[in-house]
Amino acid sequence: MEKEGQTPATFPVAPLRKKVLARDIGVIAASFVLMALFIPLHWVIDFTIFCILVLSFDLLYGFMGRLSFGHVLYYGTGAYVASLMLLHVSRNPFLAIAAGVGAGAILAIVLGFIVLQTDGAPFALINLAFNQIGFWLAASGLQQYTKGEDGLNTPVGKMGFLDFANQPIAFGFLLICLLLVFLLLRVFTLSPYGVTIRSIKENDDRVKFLGYNIFTYKWLTFVLSSTLAAFPGTLFAIFYGFVAPTIISPFGNVEVIFAVLIGGAGNLYGAIAGGVVYKLMSNYLATNITRWEMVLGILLLIWVFKFRRGLTGYASELILRVKRKQAAEV
Amino acid sequence: MSETLIYGLTIGAILYFFSIGLSITFGTMQIVNFAHGMVYTVGVYFFITFLPVFGKIFPLAMALAIAAVLPIAFLVERFIIRRLYGESLDYAIIATYAVLLIGADLIKWVWGAMPQPVSDPLRISLRLGDFSFPLYRLVVFLSAVALFLGLRAFFNRSIIGRIVVAALEDRAGVRCLGLDVNRYFSIVFVIGSGLAVLGGVLYAPIATAEPYMGFHILLVAFAVVIVGGMGNLTGTFISAFVLGLVIAITARFWSQAADTMVFAVMALVLLKNSLLALWRRLVGAVVARAD
Amino acid sequence: MLEVSGIDVAYGYAKVLHDLSLKIQQGEMVFVVGRNGAGKTTLLQTISGLMAPTAGRILFEGQEIHGLPAEKLARKGIRFVAQDKKVFSDLTVRSNIELASYAAGEDLTRAIGRLTRIYPKFQEFLDRKAGGLSGGQREILLIGRALVGKPRLLLIDEPTEGLAAIVIEDIFRILNEMKKEEVSAFIVEQNLSVVSRLADRIYIMKEGKIIKEMTERAEIGRTAELEGYL
Repeated sequence: MEKEGQTPATFPVAPLRKKVLARDIGVIAASFVLMALFIPLHWVIDFTIFCILVLSFDLLYGFMGRLSFGHVLYYGTGAYVASLMLLHVSRNPFLAIAAGVGAGAILAIVLGFIVLQTDGAPFALINLAFNQIGFWLAASGLQQYTKGEDGLNTPVGKMGFLDFANQPIAFGFLLICLLLVFLLLRVFTLSPYGVTIRSIKENDDRVKFLGYNIFTYKWLTFVLSSTLAAFPGTLFAIFYGFVAPTIISPFGNVEVIFAVLIGGAGNLYGAIAGGVVYKLMSNYLATNITRWEMVLGILLLIWVFKFRRGLTGYASELILRVKRKQAAEV
Repeated sequence: MSETLIYGLTIGAILYFFSIGLSITFGTMQIVNFAHGMVYTVGVYFFITFLPVFGKIFPLAMALAIAAVLPIAFLVERFIIRRLYGESLDYAIIATYAVLLIGADLIKWVWGAMPQPVSDPLRISLRLGDFSFPLYRLVVFLSAVALFLGLRAFFNRSIIGRIVVAALEDRAGVRCLGLDVNRYFSIVFVIGSGLAVLGGVLYAPIATAEPYMGFHILLVAFAVVIVGGMGNLTGTFISAFVLGLVIAITARFWSQAADTMVFAVMALVLLKNSLLALWRRLVGAVVARAD
Repeated sequence: MLEVSGIDVAYGYAKVLHDLSLKIQQGEMVFVVGRNGAGKTTLLQTISGLMAPTAGRILFEGQEIHGLPAEKLARKGIRFVAQDKKVFSDLTVRSNIELASYAAGEDLTRAIGRLTRIYPKFQEFLDRKAGGLSGGQREILLIGRALVGKPRLLLIDEPTEGLAAIVIEDIFRILNEMKKEEVSAFIVEQNLSVVSRLADRIYIMKEGKIIKEMTERAEIGRTAELEGYL
């Protein structure tokens, strides 16, 4: 079916060039450090964790074109499992991260098989359903472990010089995490595997006719995306030291989706840019306007109807126009 | 146990009223309409506001609430749903969710966030053998049955109903006869919204109204529509009552898990095809081993 | 009556029709012949309003109609019968016609009467569910539906496609009746026997362009030559 307003991908399908990659990573790192100079550090830390979450969602939605309304389930799972690990097994943050990410992976492996039996609207909704179940488990079903609405306090120990109570050190660590995830996704999406995923976004059937087992590709992407969502969850638990059911609430999905929309889906910069802009906006709104939910809703509507391609979409259009002008002048 | 059954049938009836509009909108426009929860909530709040003003006459307040919501539903359809027709699903979900969010906040603003209770208008209990139950619940159940029959007649006999059925199958064909399909889908959309409000209003005496009630019923309604088949009128009727009973029975034994059980059922239904295939393969493997 | 001037039509970025022009006079039955993929269906869909041209103009009875939606054009009297022979299968044949008569504002009994005159056997399957009809009966129903309300111009896409010879003769007879009543029609057709017997004029299409127009009866009668274009 022809989709209105579909333009050719503005994201290049280019071979991975180390120079470009190094440049990208440098730019992102520099931007964040720059932000840290002007914005309160704990806000930038918030951005960093959120951006990793948005990146993970971009893989599923932006690259593979599948909207899930329950992505936050894995984020919350990572957070809770990491917390429980810290509380009951060991104070070692790296073990907690491993446990949280592992739990997210296992959950995604099992649920992925289930949810990928569906597509389109049922897919979005069944993920929402599982997210809701997860939320219920955290808030009441598994209350004796999760302490329900009261939440879990998680003590984190020092690992050598890595003291998470020290903000600049925590920031440095989180920034490295963000860059690593970006690197991983960049390599992945530019690989032949990544090209297949993007083709699946365009047209399922054609990829099937080429002989690919779509289900495996979809499933692997879903697992990767969800596991990557559990990662910032563990980081949240470690840095903030406190985890409550809101972290796994389905309402959180709107934030992630909105961030991806603002920035532009399907190219990793958009996820990062969108994450930052969204967090800036919601922090400002929440502290200054009581009716921020309404404003958020209105902004969402404006974005859907007017600014669909997001910041990166407009940026690349601008660059194209400039280049064309230069070529014309030559 | 019978009390649980009555409760389940009542919930089922309300779910049916609410879900039918959702199902039709998906069948006609391929859109998952989160805003459906918004019109429902707004309608219920209007009802609660009108009730004391009009001398506590239940049907009057009900009719007025529905009348007040219909223009809102029309605006949502005209300026949001219709613009999203044919676009990818994601935008429709996001935009209608935004409407739901705006609605919830507006309600909090105008009416405040505290839940508001309403009391049973009939206050009569029926006796059937050993137990008694409120007559009101029977009324609700019978209304749902009446609605089902009414919708059947509407889609089979009325001209608008038949145009919609035709357009669901062959939209271009209907257009090429000179009929504006959008207008008819719009009419059906508004009817669906009105029914949702009716359901909400019927439910109000049994439950309480709070700004986020739209979100909660929406989740369960999605399960109803998916289990019953999107756009399938009879399927929605049956699944609404089945899931209503699931909620009631689960609530009896483990009150907080009621909603979750609904999703478990939904997941099972969605997976029944692949589960069946898996089962067949397992059986085949066992049989092969036995040879 | 219908004047198409220099239209381009594209699916996304793929241009399917290139600078295409044609004319149809009132009362004419004009046919379009060409290989599969030549763009004939796209041409009909564009004239009917289901698609819009990216360039060029379409005039109908003096009014510009390009870009107007299908339902508006249907009310102006342009009726389109699609190639896929899709009917409203959940409704009866009578209901199918009823929708058409409701839309056109013509009395149902009068509409059915007219259709029965054109094709007497129509009465027999009036109360059957449209979904149970055979391919030929569907085509007859679709043409019947399109004829309700006395349309000004009929656009028919491959009426005899996939039908048996006997049924094709039925279709031929219906089209012949229409011709006698001076209904203007623009028809895509691959069956050259039907084309050569009924056509006032023929356009031949290839790869999105009109490459030849045949106006002489002698030319049209030469089916062997026509076959070369298929």
